[in-house]
Amino acid sequence: MSAGTPKSLASSGQKPIQDICHPLGAEEVAPAGLRTPSPDVGNATSSIGEKDLSLPNGTPVETSSPASSSSLLNRLQLDDDLDGETRDLFVTVDDPKKHVSTMETYITYRVATKTTRVEFDLPEYSVRRRYQDFDWLRTKLEDSQPTHLIPPLPQKFVMKGVVDRFSEEFVATRRKALDKFLKRVADHPVLSFNEHLNTFLSAKDLNKRQGLALLTKMGESVKYVTGGYKLRARPMEFTAMAEYLDMFSQKLGTMDRIAQRIIKEQSEYLVELREYGPVYSTWAAVEAELHEPLEGVAGCVANCSSALDELTEDMSEDFLPVLREYALYVEAMKAVLKKRDNVQAEYEAKLEAAAFRKEERATSVQQVPTDVERCQDRVECFNADLKADWDRWQSNKRQDFRHLLTGVADHNIQYYEKCLAAWESVIPLLHDKQPQEAETD
Amino acid sequence: MMADSEPEEIAVIGNVDLTSAELKNNITNTMVEIEKSSTLLRKMEINVAEAEKRTGKNAVNMQETYSVYLIETRPVDAVTEGITPAAPDTLWRRYSEFELLRNYLLVTYPFVVVAPLPEKRAEIVWHKLSADNMDPDFVERRRVGLENFLHRVASHPVLCNDKIFYMFLTEEKEWKEMVYDTGFQAKADSRLKAMNAAFRVKNPDKRFIELRHYSDELQTVVSQLLRVRARVADRLYGVYKVHGNYGRVFSEWSALEKEMGDGLQSAGHHMDAYAASIDDILEEEEHYADQLKEYLHYTDALRAVCRKHELTQFELEMAAQDLAAKKQQKEELATGTVRIFSLKGMTSKLFGQETAEQREAKIQALEKQIEEGEETIKDKNKESDDFVKTAWLDIERFKEQKDRDLKEALISYAIMQISMCKKGIQVWTNAKECFNKM
Repeated sequence: MSAGTPKSLASSGQKPIQDICHPLGAEEVAPAGLRTPSPDVGNATSSIGEKDLSLPNGTPVETSSPASSSSLLNRLQLDDDLDGETRDLFVTVDDPKKHVSTMETYITYRVATKTTRVEFDLPEYSVRRRYQDFDWLRTKLEDSQPTHLIPPLPQKFVMKGVVDRFSEEFVATRRKALDKFLKRVADHPVLSFNEHLNTFLSAKDLNKRQGLALLTKMGESVKYVTGGYKLRARPMEFTAMAEYLDMFSQKLGTMDRIAQRIIKEQSEYLVELREYGPVYSTWAAVEAELHEPLEGVAGCVANCSSALDELTEDMSEDFLPVLREYALYVEAMKAVLKKRDNVQAEYEAKLEAAAFRKEERATSVQQVPTDVERCQDRVECFNADLKADWDRWQSNKRQDFRHLLTGVADHNIQYYEKCLAAWESVIPLLHDKQPQEAETD
Repeated sequence: MMADSEPEEIAVIGNVDLTSAELKNNITNTMVEIEKSSTLLRKMEINVAEAEKRTGKNAVNMQETYSVYLIETRPVDAVTEGITPAAPDTLWRRYSEFELLRNYLLVTYPFVVVAPLPEKRAEIVWHKLSADNMDPDFVERRRVGLENFLHRVASHPVLCNDKIFYMFLTEEKEWKEMVYDTGFQAKADSRLKAMNAAFRVKNPDKRFIELRHYSDELQTVVSQLLRVRARVADRLYGVYKVHGNYGRVFSEWSALEKEMGDGLQSAGHHMDAYAASIDDILEEEEHYADQLKEYLHYTDALRAVCRKHELTQFELEMAAQDLAAKKQQKEELATGTVRIFSLKGMTSKLFGQETAEQREAKIQALEKQIEEGEETIKDKNKESDDFVKTAWLDIERFKEQKDRDLKEALISYAIMQISMCKKGIQVWTNAKECFNKM
């Protein structure tokens, strides 16, 4: 905790603002601090077991909830949940607002909740959260639900100047991504019952410990690295998952590059079109009989230009962010897979040790197996959770990409329809003066 | 077709399978106006049926490759009345012979806005298009352009009656000699002379000044339009082709997926089709560019008429000036006064008066010159009047033709754009169906 204190001091620079925004003060500091499991700060290797052991402890609230009592049951309910019929938690992120203080400038978003769940005191909530708060939530979820796939947050962009973080476009894109993130969490049969989500959605003030969270993250990443040895019997399906993720992220990267290239080509095309139209107007100015037809074509090119502008905008605002969300999703999924491997590795190590000891002396047979069994349980639990999340993710992905790509097709169809309408409206203008000339159409 | 050194033989071979191509060409001819019944095009069907590559020695005995074009002609009656269509008369012409024909027409009919030839080298094209003179697409576009040129001349009320033009269509061998025998080159005005005239004309015709101004503006705007269009085509090509990459990535991605696989795979095919469709679209658009290019080059013909007018006007003014000078001289001699300072006045003052006989003889000579001068002015005036009249008639004809043609060109351009949009909608609708199945 000694490391955590100066960190929280450092971040206390934002405290006055927090106070301004959320007048309900620092009452919850103590419970929040207690809740953070101390082993996280401790040394890496020994904490694997302890930390993961704290899993059942870390989710005591959930044991009472129907969802987490049995992950098997959840899996059966999964499909129903997707249909939205059993949904009882609705969240939206909207209404971004800019806050300017002497210390910093930041954006908050309104997080609105509607629910019938008994875990919530009220049926509706509306709080304001900033990006950091979402980050806090995600870290908390990751810590308390290590066997689950936590949806990704949009990229942080710490580097100032690279992106204008206060531009309307950036804020709109981020709002969408945050909304998506929160909806994904709220739709998850396990994550949606997490107490931190409850706090995030309902508490006036979060009283989060950024510093601690940061340390936790770092500690864990160290653990992953140490767990990188080859497993004896990794189930085929997880190897297949890892392979799939590698290939899929490659394809996502390629599509991202293609989309960016298309946007670039389209913008350059737009520049030329914007020059092209007015040339017809210039020409129209020196013609008598042809004045109207040429002006017509000029107007038509202008219409097509604005249709193209919209198309390009739609592509960069709707298409690219989803690709990027999925790229981050893949990373999150890979992290969960690694965690699973770690748990299995621990189990295998313990099993080996037990077998070795069994050979040495048969007397202590009673003691060791409980430990091994516990580990085995954890592995199986993890596997089950992961598989459920994987299936859920696959099905989400399928839906999302179907939606996304049909959207792309729709945007393109709309673009061509606008151009078509423009050019068709020009034809009578060209024919008007000499109707007898009317040729093919 | 194989290159052959003996033109006649090729012509015979060329005869065999021409009718179908001919019919097709006939349809494309509708672009060209068919004027009053008197034009040659009414009586004769003219096609540039095909192009062929040849290799031969040029004037300085160097090996060179060039294209020749097969011109077919036959009386229209045979076609319309369906009496066993006689095999058309055919002959081969080089581009340079077309040039010679056009130069001859320009010099012989200075008051006519002579149709331009298609460009010798591909200019202002988008990057995908080859600038190679031997490129098959370019040769084909030039074939269409040359045919268009022949139709323009053959349907022109004045040019269509020209004997040399008729010979161009019918006499392969002696035609060149015949052209040179007309001595048209001697009549050609040098550009320098014309330039000189342009600067010194005192009373220019307002209409021709406006026309010149217009042709300058037209040239500027059309060449700018062509340039921007080429860039637009370049960019459009890029947009379409980059979409082709989706085809590949969808197909690769589909291999990873179970339920989504089929939809992705077929959507990928549609993206391939989308990328490929741009080639035809832009090739077709090149025809529009060619139509604009014809009018870009027409501006030169317009300016040539203006130049000729300036030259005529200049000659008239010079003659008038000359006459005025003579008249003044005569008056001076008659009255013995020198109104303006002149060398002659000085000498006569210094060296004494001329004898009466001398003066009389001089006056008589001047009177004769004045008479001649007045005759010249009369001629020049008539020449100028005639020129203005005929030229203006042809300019009016040209303007009508231009308005009609360009309107047609814009219509066909709009139709092209419409069909491109429809293709785009089709491809994306197909792709959407595939995505929906995912």
